[in-house]
Amino acid sequence: MDDDDPSPAVKRLLGAHMPTAGGLANSLYAGKEIGCTAVQLFTSSPRQWQHTPLSDETIAGFKQAKSKTGIAFTCAHDSYLINLAAYDNTVLERSQRAFLGELQRAHELEIPWVVTHMGAYLDMTLEAGQQKLISSLKRLLEETSDLTAGIALETTAGQGTGLGYRFDQIAEVLEGVGPHPRLGVCLDTCHVFVAGYDIRTPEGFDQVIQEFDKTIGLHRLMVIHANDAKKSLGSRVDRHEHIGEGEIGVEAFSLLVNDPRLLSIPIILETPDADKMHAVNLAKLQRLAAAATMGMHIHVRLFGHYSESDQNDQELAVPSGLSVQKLTDILAERDPNLRDMASICRVAINEEYASLDTTLKEGDVVAFVPPMSGG
Amino acid sequence: MSKITREPIDVIELSSRVEMETNGAVVSFVGQVRNHSRGQDVIGLEYEGYEEMAEKVMERIADEATSRWPVQVAMQHRLGKMQVGEVTVAIAVGSPHRDEAFEACRFCIEAIKSEVPIWKKEFGSDGSYWIEGENRTPIRLQSESVEGNDVPAVP
Repeated sequence: MDDDDPSPAVKRLLGAHMPTAGGLANSLYAGKEIGCTAVQLFTSSPRQWQHTPLSDETIAGFKQAKSKTGIAFTCAHDSYLINLAAYDNTVLERSQRAFLGELQRAHELEIPWVVTHMGAYLDMTLEAGQQKLISSLKRLLEETSDLTAGIALETTAGQGTGLGYRFDQIAEVLEGVGPHPRLGVCLDTCHVFVAGYDIRTPEGFDQVIQEFDKTIGLHRLMVIHANDAKKSLGSRVDRHEHIGEGEIGVEAFSLLVNDPRLLSIPIILETPDADKMHAVNLAKLQRLAAAATMGMHIHVRLFGHYSESDQNDQELAVPSGLSVQKLTDILAERDPNLRDMASICRVAINEEYASLDTTLKEGDVVAFVPPMSGG
Repeated sequence: MSKITREPIDVIELSSRVEMETNGAVVSFVGQVRNHSRGQDVIGLEYEGYEEMAEKVMERIADEATSRWPVQVAMQHRLGKMQVGEVTVAIAVGSPHRDEAFEACRFCIEAIKSEVPIWKKEFGSDGSYWIEGENRTPIRLQSESVEGNDVPAVP
């Protein structure tokens, strides 16, 4: 989509959580390769307590990768083992020490934010868990006052005794710690959805963002995780799905990448099957973003059994210069039942048969015509 | 002379449009709903079309026929629900001699089948299907329950 790349005032940063196999810098090179302008990574193994300090060589290599790739935003995700609300003092101490390491490494790598889940209260009450978390965060921020990296609390799915699945819980924690420039929030679309926030429609999406702003404050939002959900609204089960293929659906992601209130917030994918599918999911988000910024409008009509699709007979905002072939990709993303349309149908533009590589113009009526059965 | 209609087709009236004193032959083709398809009983059909385009394409087919043969052509295709025996399409071709009339009529019906954006849904004893093309597997309707009153309900 480079050929007609628009240059909006704010460049929407899109990327993914990239693997660090072969070295931290590789997350950036691999990210660049699939078109990321933002990258999230683990700065140490996420399933181990032990970590060795970063070598000068690693730090220099990472900084060099950043300038070479031009990736504008990076963030780290903390280890899965860390529980900053742990009841057991040994676990709590260990978690805090590990998190200090997370902040130290992020600082050295010039990564501005470490995203963390808010911990689980296990045998305690929710209130007691929150208090533990608040004192952990206070301690961490105090002890790292000379570091630049901040803590971004991630909205969670509310699995088990996980904290932070309601916006007001996060607001209480933020309030308990007190305002701090190095304390922010990360919104995860899958987590908020399974936690009960319905973002599937324009009205619902708007309401959820408004509620976030009212309770937490959009100025606290530092990064967004874009994930579809395998499980249903309110299920509180955290299973990520490819963009547009889960319970949330593609519309929410179109709203997400185009919401003017969120335009300056980097978006990171954490969808499954990173090696193969990050490129696909990223391209989807890019297309959804492009569709709105470069608008032209066309009218889509489907016939035969395809007319049963909810994509039939609609005005669609698409990028300028879109070909019919690319339009079929967009439609197939919105409704998987339309995947074979390009190979089966003839296309008619403004009631004349045309070829699949025809470039569409503003106001065109595009009809997909399966083999006919009149007579 | 070419049109899409939702009313029953009057075959006699259509033929009369190409009956001229210079014509020694009038050939008509009349398509109607058959009571069976692919070994199953058919109760009725529903034709849907891309109407704005279908009429244009039919006119183009008629133009093509009159440019190739010394004929006059009139044709109508019906859309909507039809029961067994009802006329779905009718073509009337008038010409001084029968050979050209037969050839042009054959040309018209084949072109209608392959070029005019019209599709049929078959309501049969084994369910309701979209028919797309002559040799492709029918596709079961997603919304089977909602049929009108003029075609018997499908179990």
